[in-house]
Amino acid sequence: MAAAGGAGPEKQVAPALLSFFIYNPRLGPREGEEEKKILFYHPNEVEKNEKIRNVGLCEAIVQFTRTFSPSKPAKSLHTQKNRQFFNEPEENFWMVMVVRNPIIEKYHKDGKPIIEYQEEELLDKVYSSILQQCYSMYKLFNGTFLKAIENGGIRVLKERLEKFFHRYLQTLHLQSCDLLDVFCGISFFPLDKMTYLKIQSFINKMEESLNIVKYTAFLYNDQLIWSGLEQDDMRILYKYLTTSLFPRHTEPELTGRDSPIRAEMPGNLQHYGRFLNGPLNLNDPEAKCRFPKIFVNTNDTYEELHLIVYKAMSAAVCFMIDASMQPTLDFCRKLDSIVGPQLTVLASDICEQYNINKRISGSEKEPQFKFIYFNHMNLAEKSTIHMRKTASVSLTSVHPDLMKILGDINSDFTRVDEDEEIIVKAMSDYWVVGKKSDQRELYVILNQKNANLIEVNEEVKKLCATQFNNIFFLD
Amino acid sequence: MATGEPDSPAQEGMALSQEEDRLCPADTGGDKLSTGLEELPAPQSNGPMRSVDGQEEPSDKDLSDSASTDTALEDSSEFGRPLMVGACETGAAAVPPTRRDEDVTAASWRARRKHIFVLSEAGKPIYSRYGNEEALSSTMGVMMALVSFIQSGDNAIRSIYSDDRKLVFVQQGPLVLVSVSRTLQSEQQLRQELLYVYYQILSMLTQVSITRIFERKKNYDLRRLLAGSEKILDRLINLVESDPSFLLGAVRCLPLPASLREALGALLQKAITPNLVFSILVARSQLVTAVQERAVIEECRLEPTDLHLLLNLIGASSAFQAGEIWTPICLPRFNPDGYFYAYISYLDAECTVCLVLLSTDKESFYAVSDCKKRVEEAMRTQGSLQALSGGLQSPSYGVGQVGVPDLRHFLYKPLDIPENYRQLPQFTSPELEGPYCSEEEQHRLFDLYHYLHSRIHSTSRPLRLIYHVAEKETLLAWVTSKFELYTCFSPLVTKAGAINVLTKLLRWIKREEDRLFIRYPPKYSTTPNPGKGTKGGRPDNAENGFFAGL
Amino acid sequence: MSRGGCYLALCARPVHFEKANSVNCVFFDEANKQVFAVRSGGATGVVVKGLEDKNPISFRMEDKGEVKCIKFSLGNKILAVQRTSKSVDFLNFIPDSPQIEYTQECKTKNANILGFCWTSPTEIVFLTDQGIEFYQVLPEKRTLKLLKNQNINVNWYMYCPESSVILLSTTVLGNVLQPFYFKGGTMSKLSKFEIELPAAPKSSKLSLSERDIAMATIYGQLYVLYLRHHSRTSNSTGAEVVLYHLPREGSCKKMHILKLNRTGKFALNVVDNLVVVHHQDTETSVLFDIKLKGEFDGTVTLHQLVLPAQSIQPYQIPVAGPASVTNQSPVPCKLYSSSWIVFQPDIIISASEGYLWNLEVKLEPVVDLLPDKGKLMDFLLQRKECKMVILSVCSQMLSEPHRGTLAVIATVFDKLNQEYKKHLEAEQSYTMAVEAGQSRGNPPLKRPVRTQAVIDQSDMYTHVLSVFTEKKEAPHKFTIAVLMEYIRSLNQVQIAVQHYLYELVIKTLVQHNLFYMLHQFLQYHVLSDSKPLACLLLSLESIYPPAHQLSLDMLKRLSTANDEIVEVLLSKHQVLAALRFIRGIGGHDSVSARKFLDAAKQADDDMVFYTIFRFFEQRNQRLRGNPNFTPGEHCEEHVTFFKQIFGEHTLMKPATF
Repeated sequence: MAAAGGAGPEKQVAPALLSFFIYNPRLGPREGEEEKKILFYHPNEVEKNEKIRNVGLCEAIVQFTRTFSPSKPAKSLHTQKNRQFFNEPEENFWMVMVVRNPIIEKYHKDGKPIIEYQEEELLDKVYSSILQQCYSMYKLFNGTFLKAIENGGIRVLKERLEKFFHRYLQTLHLQSCDLLDVFCGISFFPLDKMTYLKIQSFINKMEESLNIVKYTAFLYNDQLIWSGLEQDDMRILYKYLTTSLFPRHTEPELTGRDSPIRAEMPGNLQHYGRFLNGPLNLNDPEAKCRFPKIFVNTNDTYEELHLIVYKAMSAAVCFMIDASMQPTLDFCRKLDSIVGPQLTVLASDICEQYNINKRISGSEKEPQFKFIYFNHMNLAEKSTIHMRKTASVSLTSVHPDLMKILGDINSDFTRVDEDEEIIVKAMSDYWVVGKKSDQRELYVILNQKNANLIEVNEEVKKLCATQFNNIFFLD
Repeated sequence: MATGEPDSPAQEGMALSQEEDRLCPADTGGDKLSTGLEELPAPQSNGPMRSVDGQEEPSDKDLSDSASTDTALEDSSEFGRPLMVGACETGAAAVPPTRRDEDVTAASWRARRKHIFVLSEAGKPIYSRYGNEEALSSTMGVMMALVSFIQSGDNAIRSIYSDDRKLVFVQQGPLVLVSVSRTLQSEQQLRQELLYVYYQILSMLTQVSITRIFERKKNYDLRRLLAGSEKILDRLINLVESDPSFLLGAVRCLPLPASLREALGALLQKAITPNLVFSILVARSQLVTAVQERAVIEECRLEPTDLHLLLNLIGASSAFQAGEIWTPICLPRFNPDGYFYAYISYLDAECTVCLVLLSTDKESFYAVSDCKKRVEEAMRTQGSLQALSGGLQSPSYGVGQVGVPDLRHFLYKPLDIPENYRQLPQFTSPELEGPYCSEEEQHRLFDLYHYLHSRIHSTSRPLRLIYHVAEKETLLAWVTSKFELYTCFSPLVTKAGAINVLTKLLRWIKREEDRLFIRYPPKYSTTPNPGKGTKGGRPDNAENGFFAGL
Repeated sequence: MSRGGCYLALCARPVHFEKANSVNCVFFDEANKQVFAVRSGGATGVVVKGLEDKNPISFRMEDKGEVKCIKFSLGNKILAVQRTSKSVDFLNFIPDSPQIEYTQECKTKNANILGFCWTSPTEIVFLTDQGIEFYQVLPEKRTLKLLKNQNINVNWYMYCPESSVILLSTTVLGNVLQPFYFKGGTMSKLSKFEIELPAAPKSSKLSLSERDIAMATIYGQLYVLYLRHHSRTSNSTGAEVVLYHLPREGSCKKMHILKLNRTGKFALNVVDNLVVVHHQDTETSVLFDIKLKGEFDGTVTLHQLVLPAQSIQPYQIPVAGPASVTNQSPVPCKLYSSSWIVFQPDIIISASEGYLWNLEVKLEPVVDLLPDKGKLMDFLLQRKECKMVILSVCSQMLSEPHRGTLAVIATVFDKLNQEYKKHLEAEQSYTMAVEAGQSRGNPPLKRPVRTQAVIDQSDMYTHVLSVFTEKKEAPHKFTIAVLMEYIRSLNQVQIAVQHYLYELVIKTLVQHNLFYMLHQFLQYHVLSDSKPLACLLLSLESIYPPAHQLSLDMLKRLSTANDEIVEVLLSKHQVLAALRFIRGIGGHDSVSARKFLDAAKQADDDMVFYTIFRFFEQRNQRLRGNPNFTPGEHCEEHVTFFKQIFGEHTLMKPATF
């Protein structure tokens, strides 16, 4: 793409969020009332008529595409400079995200800059997913648009949108989005049956003794082990926990491995347990027990819950209690006294087991390949491509172009629901393999540049044998 | 207009004379022609144009019957009318006549695999593949609105994606082309298709004239000039979807013994006359051989696109099947603003073998016609015509001849032909057979080829190789410095098996390449000395870039 | 189940005999558990009643003076009667052998016979104040042969038939006990030991009475029980029972102390390995179980009573004679009466009323008396008749009103499964030993007996869990928690869980649409793989599509279910997938072409059919050098079908080389 003639240094400018708005055509149907349609608009500084115009365009596009497929209107609009993504999460509520294409700035010999828009760089699926996640995340903490209007009218909805997205939009890392954002999967912690059953029985006992707890989720090392929530709610909650809440609470001395020996536990407290939200100091009688509210099962029972996140070493438990119950300081103390010690013990058990398993499988050495695995059935995700993914950045260990090839393969897979396999050799001579079996997808990047098709196939077979021999993967 | 008129395909002698009778009882066809053709390629040339300029904004009426360039334009299309008329008949056979007046609100219309729309900047409908343009004028209006709205933001609309469709926009001068497709084709491929449509329009009208018309009258209804030519566009679009030569930008050669091909090439080489630039022999729209004017080759080679458009033009008309045709035609990739003069004539009764001679000299009909006689003569004496049509009886070849069971079909485009750079790009592929006899299966297969092509030639992320185990077949695309190959295997083929098939296939092609491809393109020189050449080319000189270099 | 009530009871069918009086002397033989009623020295008849035998033996013998002791040999072949302190008379009870008595005097001069014991059908031991004499009786010769004798001063003796050990009290104080062991004509002397007396005795007179000593086998071990009226440790008054373990070889060791926390008159019984101590003053009894945890002081373990003291269940004496004649209401029997005589292990005799009972321990009442379910299980698991009680305890703790907490439930399950595991291990090592044994002709070892304490998965399933989940009265959260707890417990002791338990879990989850939970369980292989489970999952596909994937995974892991996998795929018209799979495991040359062609045809997709058809044409070519199908493959209809769609010419031509 780097066109010839461009002399001097090239400057890559990453894609960026141009604007983000939410509107409902039903709210301002008559001429001159168009502004009423707009529920949220970022950046807010934009001049009113400009806003109206842009909303108008989106309406027009959607309307126009309906002439060809009434039920499947536009999902995205490609222009030279940017892409617009449309999403209608609730009837007549439209969310639009406008992303500027990446730019290459070059300087002509005569020193005048040439701006070149890279139109093929953004993957629709990735950014559409990001847009959908925006809604899911909003809904998790605020409930549906409709409910907001029913309960408090448009004003309340606007306030909530403003309050939420004002902060959330800054956390979108549009420059480093990739296939994993499409999956938005859940990484499960590998664990032996026995330890898992111990955790089960721990959770059951906790729910019994803290009887106002409605749901529980259990994580270790930021990986899920148990979720009492339904899959889709867990998916977005998991994203919140792992990309927002946990990163804010990693204290240096305890990050990484727990020590299986529990000897050096400080004398005064009997455990390592602590609240990640809610009261800071249980001994302070004034301590506030305010926990964030979340909304789950919004399309049937529509439950409103308090989210209590409690952590001991690398083990974190989410207790969700009905919002009608206000958790008191006493409750928190009780929770701390019951959960804290047991969780501490459990955490080190898990760590012990985990280390044993690691030693057995000896999965320490860096393999010849990188891979992403995703299972649509349980949203299980496994990736050796991202070192770590935080709200701010996701450090990928492979070249972005390869990641985009993965994206291409993924969208090829979504065309048909039959099992498929795609092996490609990139210009960089990397091999990229995509396998789709039932609801599972596996992507492998091999850097044996001078391997041939058959050798590559063998490599992947080996990988499947070691990593996935317990599941049915068609060859 | 033209479509309304009755027409009897020429019985004997020259179609040209007939043209005269029909077109202009008063004038001589020659003059009529000249007025038209002179004006056309030379917009800056003065005379009648002035008079037009002099007028205060011309009405449709003026445009039609004043002796303006536009009149000339219409005449020039008149000139080609028999092929339009002919197209009507063949077209009628090919496609349901109801298609044009299809109900654009019906689900069946929406469900079409691919829509193609052409409109003017004023949002005036010019062409729609399905449904009549009038009924679609509002839709096209919206399209134009979108285009200009985004333009107003100093930006350009490219496409709109919905879950099951791609809408692709292309703007070329005063024309906007839109494709609404459910196929697997990539945005780029759809854009390419739209360009083919655009070029086909140019091949009939040329760029300058179109530009000029809309400069003069923003909301001019271009359909008046294209009347009847919808059939050509329809046919083109169908071809583009089903004929890999468009996808690969290459021509399919008729498999022939090298000796026979060379003999025929030699024939064409001899049968020349001044200002003859291309001699092309095709059979069943497969290239037998093509000879180019040396000087032309110095400059640039004949673009496959132009050849495809030309063949499509010919194929669309049965009128050509009788006698000789002398018609102006623009090769847009070669030069979007100038006309060539194409001599077209079938050499056999079955109208399978067709000779096309391109000249830059509008007056050289008789000379060129004479060349054809010489070719015919020589072929008769050599009996090469029988040899040719003999080879044509049987379908070119089946994949079975390669002799590997798991192989179902392939496209092979060599990149290592001698003097490749100055040759027409070529490709070969076997007949579709076995599971791919039905039309929808063929559509499916070509969709897959399109998909492979788009991935491997992706502008942003090109690939060297794709191996795809798909639902109903296993596909492999492979681009090297020597060739470009697309193969379709049984879905049960193993990777080792596929590799094995591949090596056998490549070996087979190497063995057959002399039969399958034109190895050494013959040339001739019709411009002994530049001076003469330039004079000979004078009328077109101003436009036809290829002599400028001399 | 009967709640309340007493945990001790006299057996319902006692042995009734003529009560002792001036003319009728009553003897009890501990070896044969027989009561002898000797009327006027036997002249007017002797009636012998045993616990087992229904019809009593009765005979006469001429009165040769007062009978001191009378006992049948084991098997009732020879009767021994002691009338004087010098000799014992014998009388054969072998059919048609002369009914003439013969006599044996004790060897040691001027020693007095304290008594005698039969140690086998023909071996008898005389116990004299000066020693012990071991004889063999030769009934046909009507003589005895001295096998062995030993001289020691004997204060008193005690015989424990179960272990055929005789204990002699020696020395002045009498607290040095000398055990002898008899087996197959040999008499072996075990190491003697000393009983610690409460306090250093003031005078040197006999201070250990035989009334305070008992011998009994508890949990398969022989113990000497010593009732010490005053604790040696000053701090706690009140009597205690000291248990000395008397091993076959090695020295006797003091091991347990049972704290009675009371004083007065006591009597001991051992029932179902429990030590029962009767207290006459309070007319109550207490239980001890030496298997239960007590406080260990380094040498001995101190035990407190397991249950609150209770008196034996009131007992009605059935009215003598046919009730029809005299219809008077049955008389309540006086419990703990001074006329009671207690014999080991579990015998209580009331000579005055002429009854012999077995003492029994009832388990149902215990359930409510032991609130600590863990302790309760420890107690129950040691009892003979425990199974149904334990199961009922389990059901009880799962349902209102007495629903236990998960923690309690967990401990109960764990205790049950430890016992269960022990049994499995025994079984296993037995079978292994057998296999090893067969190789070299070892003597056949005996299969471990399965006690009632072994409560396996099917017991739990049928009596407790299935009922519990059926009832659906408990919140499903609890139901699932319980099932998982049980599965956890089984896993903890590495017992392979049976699939019907998993099915229970799955059913419950499905009933409440908790599919995501189910999915997570399967994901972590908590519900381990089995074909039945895989099939169950398949059946769920309609309500929960992912079940299909899950079951396929399971079949794959089983690695013995390849045929099933193919069937599943074919049933879903995934013909190509099926064929690829078969090929993957190298079975594609043997599979039936017809089967796949049928499936392909049902798939109703010409492309698929073409592919499959070609595949087999090529297989034919490869295997037989000809693409055509053999009649044996029955593919004619498919060939015609193929022709009619793709045309005859599309058929594969035989490759020519």
